[in-house]
Order: sequence, then structure tokens, then C-alpha cells
Amino acid sequence: MENQRNIILAVLLTALVLFGWEAGVGYFYPQAKTPTQTVAAGGAEKATSPTKPTREGGLRDAADVALETKDLKSALASGGRVAIAAPGLSGSINLTGAIVDDLVLNRHRETVEKKSGPVRLFSPAGTPAQQFAQVGWVGEGVATPTAQTVWTAPAGARLTPQTPLTLTWSNPTGQRFAITYTIDKDYMISAAQTVENAGGAPVTVRPFALVNRTDKTASLDTWNVHSGPIGAYDGSVSFATNYEDVAEAKTVANAGRTDWIGFTDVYWMSALAPVGASAEGTFRSLGNSVFRADLVYDQKVLQPRQRMTVTTKLFAGAKEHAVLDAYEAQGIANFGLAIDWGWFRWFEKPIFWLLVKLFSLTSNFGVAIILLTAIVRGIMFPIAQRGFASMAAMRAIQPKMKAIQERYKDDKPRQQQEIMALYKSEGVNPMAGCLPMFLQIPVFFALYKVLILAIEMRHQPFVLWIKDLSSPDPLHILNLFGLLPFEPPAFLAIGLLALLLGITMFLQFKLNPAQMDPAQQQVFMIMPWFMMFVMAPFASGLLVYWITSNLLTIAQQKYLYSRHPQLKAQAEKDAADKARGTGKGAKA
Amino acid sequence: MKKALAFLVSLPGLLMIGLARLWQIGPSAIMPPTCRYSPSCSQYAIEAVRRHGAIKGGLLAFWRLLRCNPWGGHGHDPVPD
Repeated sequence: MENQRNIILAVLLTALVLFGWEAGVGYFYPQAKTPTQTVAAGGAEKATSPTKPTREGGLRDAADVALETKDLKSALASGGRVAIAAPGLSGSINLTGAIVDDLVLNRHRETVEKKSGPVRLFSPAGTPAQQFAQVGWVGEGVATPTAQTVWTAPAGARLTPQTPLTLTWSNPTGQRFAITYTIDKDYMISAAQTVENAGGAPVTVRPFALVNRTDKTASLDTWNVHSGPIGAYDGSVSFATNYEDVAEAKTVANAGRTDWIGFTDVYWMSALAPVGASAEGTFRSLGNSVFRADLVYDQKVLQPRQRMTVTTKLFAGAKEHAVLDAYEAQGIANFGLAIDWGWFRWFEKPIFWLLVKLFSLTSNFGVAIILLTAIVRGIMFPIAQRGFASMAAMRAIQPKMKAIQERYKDDKPRQQQEIMALYKSEGVNPMAGCLPMFLQIPVFFALYKVLILAIEMRHQPFVLWIKDLSSPDPLHILNLFGLLPFEPPAFLAIGLLALLLGITMFLQFKLNPAQMDPAQQQVFMIMPWFMMFVMAPFASGLLVYWITSNLLTIAQQKYLYSRHPQLKAQAEKDAADKARGTGKGAKA
Repeated sequence: MKKALAFLVSLPGLLMIGLARLWQIGPSAIMPPTCRYSPSCSQYAIEAVRRHGAIKGGLLAFWRLLRCNPWGGHGHDPVPD
């Protein structure tokens, strides 16, 4: 009776989690499916309504995607642009307004396909995916350049790491404005903006820099990984502001000295950092899904023949940890923390570091994950061995233990004392305790987090069909690995990896010492298949870790059984007893 | 009002006890036994939080977890008064 109730309970719980899980996972861990559509020929073939943001970010509405392709083409073809050609970034600067509004990331592909286009970060104003950066001045009683101002570039100019670009413009009253852009080999563009008062009267100007973007292309913002407005004020990075906050408040001024400010996605970021000057950083909502982060410098009065220059660094690129850390070393406070590691940074970063090292040795992240698993299991091996030895010894003294427990049933401390004495006289070590087990949870969590947010893991293949370890297994068993023309619903989308996980876990549980309680035995049987459903939507790298871990545990278990044959015999006997016992129970 | 406040104060403790209970009926039930102490860590945590509140009880439980390793102690280890 008891047994049946437990089974019913287990089935109900399984059903509950199975269906509840989909909603939960869909929320916390969206699958990177949309970007594939985004690039595939404008993605117009699948007319989906706006869905939830993805980890990748990018436009989600099919109409927007089509419009973006069209608008982008016409905007970039209109001329009046100076090309940007650097190892990390390509694109152009619009001479109208001196706006950096066309940037793609050369080192990152839109999709896992090698021939897919580079990721586009900046797109001109008015396009659906608009995102751009601009520097300028606010003047009092003096004409300053506007977004419509057409700047002059030297003939044949190009912005490359070797050739800076200086744009110039003068107003009728004699103030000369110049912006000098420089670019490095990664993702940093510097804009030095100079105003020179060649007129006869003093003028008042206030330099500014801004990043403007739409949140239509924002990546998914979760409790785990922040996407949205980001910045560091007085040296501490704030992930607290969301697009909704800014939209509601219209203006979010940030207290403290702004070290850098901008917008981040899970993988990409555009941010402004003042160089050697203090500036106020503010987020603004411009309506219609458009947001702005701006840096406003101190106002200054320029006497005739005086000049003033302020320099703003514009980061526009992928959040590669080495690149961010290098910029931090160059003086942008806590720039490396733009990657939202969260509370467990101190634990995640070493794991990440180890993974990157293993990757540089093996040049395959899947192999690196397997090696990581081997290292973790290797560290745990002595503990497992001790636990096994103690289990073997426990078995041997089981009858004596029972006797003591019977005799001192009502006197727990005494019972404990006697057991301790027994341990000592028989030379038994106690069990390993639960800490070793808990120590493995942070490793798992760290890997989970790294797979979500580290761009180094994005589009990293393993073997055969696994082309991207940071996304779920693309194969589904239900449609016979793509042979049948339908996409199974997400909660039934069991991949091959998930199946392997279930099987290895089942085998591992089978090797565990038999449980005395039949209800627990039932859970043992259900658990692996339950976990198969639970884990299927997670990053395939995480499943690779777990499967390897199971296989190593099985190997370790086999080895330890061979070292302690009496335990093996005992386990088999227990299993036989159990089978007979349940058989009888069913008949009765 | 007072009652609501009292409930709010007891919430973290209840949450911790709930967590320990979930552990007991979930993962712990299906894993091979590893306890080197009695009462078990989860039982210890429940008692500690009940008797000493979320903060002190939580710390006691955390300390017990840290001790629960092959190089720690073992045997009868009840929640201190």
C-alpha cells in the first residue's frame, strides 16, 4: 500500500516537473533558435510574432528582420561614409553627424554555420536594429555640430589601427570642431573631440558622448545573467538597471563618478568610458523602444584662441574576457566585471580559467570539458576510495552494530559511544560525509554559468553532430534525428546526449549498494529517466560533463568493487534478496 | 500587524527548514548513505534553526556541513544548547 502510494506520488511529481519545467527552463534558459532564422535570408520564411529574447539577442520579429536587411542596405549605400577596417571591427562612420553607426564583429559569426555573416552590433538610426555611438557638444550661444551636420574627412581616409581619422567642421562664428577617431585591433574606438575658439568672443561648451540603441535586439535578461543598461560608478559595476526601469523613469541618473556606462547583452556590449575627465553618466528612454546612455562632461568657457579636448573610449564588441581584462589593465575600472559572473565569481573564474587552459592544450572545448571532469573526479577519488573502504568494513561489522543498536535503543549517547568503540576496535573509518558531494555542486554550477555567458564557449564544437556546446543538443529522438519532418515540443525534445545521460545514470545507480527501502529502489529506477527530461534543454556541454562524470563514476565503482570483492558479493546477495522480497510482496 | 511581522521574521528559518526537508525526501533519499555524524546534517540543520533561529542556527548548520568530510569528526553530535 505504502509502496503504491509512493509510486503514484513519484509519477505525479514527474508529470508536474515535466510540464512545469518547460515553462521554467524556457524562462531561465531560452534556446538560441531565433538567431538562425534571423540571418537565414532575412528570416522571413518563419513569420513568428515577437517571442522571448534569446541569449544571442537580435531582432525577433520576422517583419523587423526583413526591414532591417532592406533599411541597412539603403542606409549604407547612400554614401558619405568613411570605412572602418580593423582586425576586430569592420564598418563605417557616417559623415552626417560623425556617427559610428555601422559595425560588425569580424571574429564572431551570426550562427554556428562557418559561412554565416559576422555579428552586427551597430546599425544606423532609424533601422529596426538601431544602435550607434556619437560624440558632440552642447553649446550656449554658439552653434555646435548636430546630427545633421556634414563633417569633412580627408580624401581617401579610412579608419584602421594604423591610420586615425580626423573629421572637421567649423561654424560661421569661428569655432573649429574636430573629432579624431582611433581604433585598436580589438573592440576599442577612441574619440578625441576638440573645439578651438578662433572667434572673437568667449564661448561656453559642454562635450558629451552617447550610445543609442533599441531594446528590440536585447538578449534575454534573467536573474542569472543581466542584459541591459550597465555601468561602473565610483569603481563598482551595477547590473541593477533594466530597460523597463529606464522606460518607466524616463531618466536614470547614476550617482558617483562614472567609470564607464553603456548597454550590454549576454555576449556583446557597447560602452563609453571618459578618459582622464569626470563625466556624468545617465540612461534615458527616448520612447519607441529606444534608449540612450550618455556621458556629459563638465561645461567649460573657452576664451578666444583657447582650445579644449576630451577623449571618450567607445567599447563596441564581444565580451571576450582577455580583451576586457586588458582594457581594465589600461585603466578602465572593473571593466572585466562587465561579464556578469554573479555572486560565485570567485569559484566560477578558476573553473573558467582551467577550461580555457585545457582548451588551449586540446583546441576542442568538448575535450576540455571531459578533461575537467576527469580532474574533478580525480580529486574526489581518494575520498570515494575511503568511503568504499569504510562501507566494506561497515558491512563486516553489521551484525555487531545491530546488536549494539538493540541493546542501547533508549540511550542514544551511550549507543553512539559503543559504536565509536566498536569502530576503533575493528579499525573502521567512518563514512566520507556529505561535504565532498556538495563540493561538486559549485563545479557544476560554474560550468553551467560559463556555458551561458562566456563568449569563448559560443559556437564551440565538440564532435560529430555537436556544433555548439553552449546550446542544447540539436538532435531529437522523437523525429528520428531529423528524418521525420516535425519539431517535437520542447519538453519532449530529448536529444541523444540526454538519452546517454539517462542510460549512464541508470547504470551508475545500478552499481550503488542496494537500498533497503523498496520505495527508494523505485525512485532509483525512475530518477535517471526523469533527469533525462530535466537536463535535455540545457547546454550540451553541461550534459557532456555529466555523462563523463557518470562514466568515470561507473569505472571507479567497478574498480573499487574489484578491490573489495566481499562488497560485490554482498551487493549481489542484497539484490537477489530484494528481487525475491518484492516478488513475494506482489503476490501477497 | 504584529502577527504579520512575526511571520515575516520566521520566514527565513522556515525556508531553511523547508530546504533541508526537500533535501531529505529528495536527493538524500536516493543517494548512498554518507553520514558520519548523527543526527545527519539535514536533521541537525532543522533542529538548529528551530532552536536557535535562522542566523545562529544557519551558521551552526553551515559549520556542521564543513566538518562533515573525511578529515572531520564523526559520531554523536547533537545541536548545542
